[in-house]
Amino acid sequence: MESTNYIALSRQASLRRELDLVANNMANLNTPAYQGESMMFVEYLEDTQRGKTGEMSFVQDISTVRDLKEGPMKRTENPLDLAISGRGYFTIETDDGPRYTRNGAFQLNEEGQIVNKANQPVLDGNGNPIEVPDDAQSIEISEDGTIATEVGQIAQLEPVTFENEQLLMKRANGLFEAREEQVAEPAEGARIMQGTLESSNVEGVVEMTRLINLTRSYSSANKFSESEHERILRAVRTLVSSQ
Amino acid sequence: MRSLSIAATGMLAQQMNVEVISNNIANMNTSGYKRQRAEFNDLLYQDMRRVGANSSEEGTIVPSGIQLGLGVKPAAIYRINEQGSIQMTDNPLDMAMNGKGMFMVEMPNGETGYTRAGSFQLSPDGDLVTPDGYPVQPGITIPVDAVGVTVNANGEVWVDLDGQVDPQLVGQIEVARFPNEAGLQALGDNLFAETRASGQATVGVPGQAGFGSVLQGAVESSNVDMVKEITNMVAAQRAYEMNSKVISTSDEMMRNVSQMR
Repeated sequence: MESTNYIALSRQASLRRELDLVANNMANLNTPAYQGESMMFVEYLEDTQRGKTGEMSFVQDISTVRDLKEGPMKRTENPLDLAISGRGYFTIETDDGPRYTRNGAFQLNEEGQIVNKANQPVLDGNGNPIEVPDDAQSIEISEDGTIATEVGQIAQLEPVTFENEQLLMKRANGLFEAREEQVAEPAEGARIMQGTLESSNVEGVVEMTRLINLTRSYSSANKFSESEHERILRAVRTLVSSQ
Repeated sequence: MRSLSIAATGMLAQQMNVEVISNNIANMNTSGYKRQRAEFNDLLYQDMRRVGANSSEEGTIVPSGIQLGLGVKPAAIYRINEQGSIQMTDNPLDMAMNGKGMFMVEMPNGETGYTRAGSFQLSPDGDLVTPDGYPVQPGITIPVDAVGVTVNANGEVWVDLDGQVDPQLVGQIEVARFPNEAGLQALGDNLFAETRASGQATVGVPGQAGFGSVLQGAVESSNVDMVKEITNMVAAQRAYEMNSKVISTSDEMMRNVSQMR
């Protein structure tokens, strides 16, 4: 009957993974448009010899949940820093297909295309990379995503969204990958703000309290294993001496 | 323990952030300096439980899975080429660019350097040079007997000669523009070099389409905003502290384990 220890262990294993998650949130405290994550725990029940009445309850982490709350907006005065107010993602072209991001820290590459920091082109509403003419002096991007220079309109950004954003898979560089069955729909009510970046929505204070909570839970699970160990030890001694 | 290395990436990132901020603050009085910003991106994700995996024999699927991020990495440190404020100096050889365009300077190795710091001087031969003595391109020589120098918005250099009524044109300042100024390589001494990322220089005359104009008797100050830098620094410091807290938490958890009997 070592299951007591296994139950405590299941708790500790999940807590350790949660610590990794909190660590990643903290590390990305200043990453533009980073969305904090938390872990979803569930009970995992297992029958014992006594049947349904004596079920053992383990803990299991089944999924990570992304906090979709909008991060605070920060003015940067850089014309190619874009933020989306409201739900929506920019579409980025990568070698592995389209990816979606809320991180609008863009720049121009050597071909004059608007690209993200990993040199991957941003796509406009028609799915084409956006090229800024060489002689353009200023780039104006309006709330509806129209990109214009002093010679006129050159393209329009159309933020997209998905029915269930939690299903998007995270990739490096703030990108998300949509699963096959997910269809990108135009994001309604999304406004593009030029010269602004969405900050990470991780709140340091919240993460700190989670961290403290984690440590305490971990050591209490530890205590639990220890007292269980002592209990068995005592039982064995008592049995041995009574013979 | 994964959390240890994740927090370490966070601390390194914040350290770099502070380094960039301190360089901005150090250069807050450097003419023509453009402030820089460190930009971060999240690192790879490890799929612990894949999204869309079957969670039962009946074919129900895991709604979002477990993806553990592995920290943060610096994505770019880039210059914000916003116009700096113009400071009047009343020195006739100080020139500020108002708008796009960089002065061209011939460096000792013969290559062309680009700069926004237009505090020029005269060499012993009367050539227009930078404070380091590098000639401004195309070469402009001010005659020894000139009593006054006027540079107009289009970069034409006129001199008043002693005893002559009409000013004389002695040169034309040309400036260069790049498709992507952020891609220029900083060489120090306020100089920049062309790179593949910046694109080819387009040389033109100030005031022409796409080029800014020259303002004589002024220099462009750095575009560092002190308040912004200090607030960024405070934020970076706090983020650093929080990441170090993660490390001590991981440590505590490991100690807990090692003390178990």
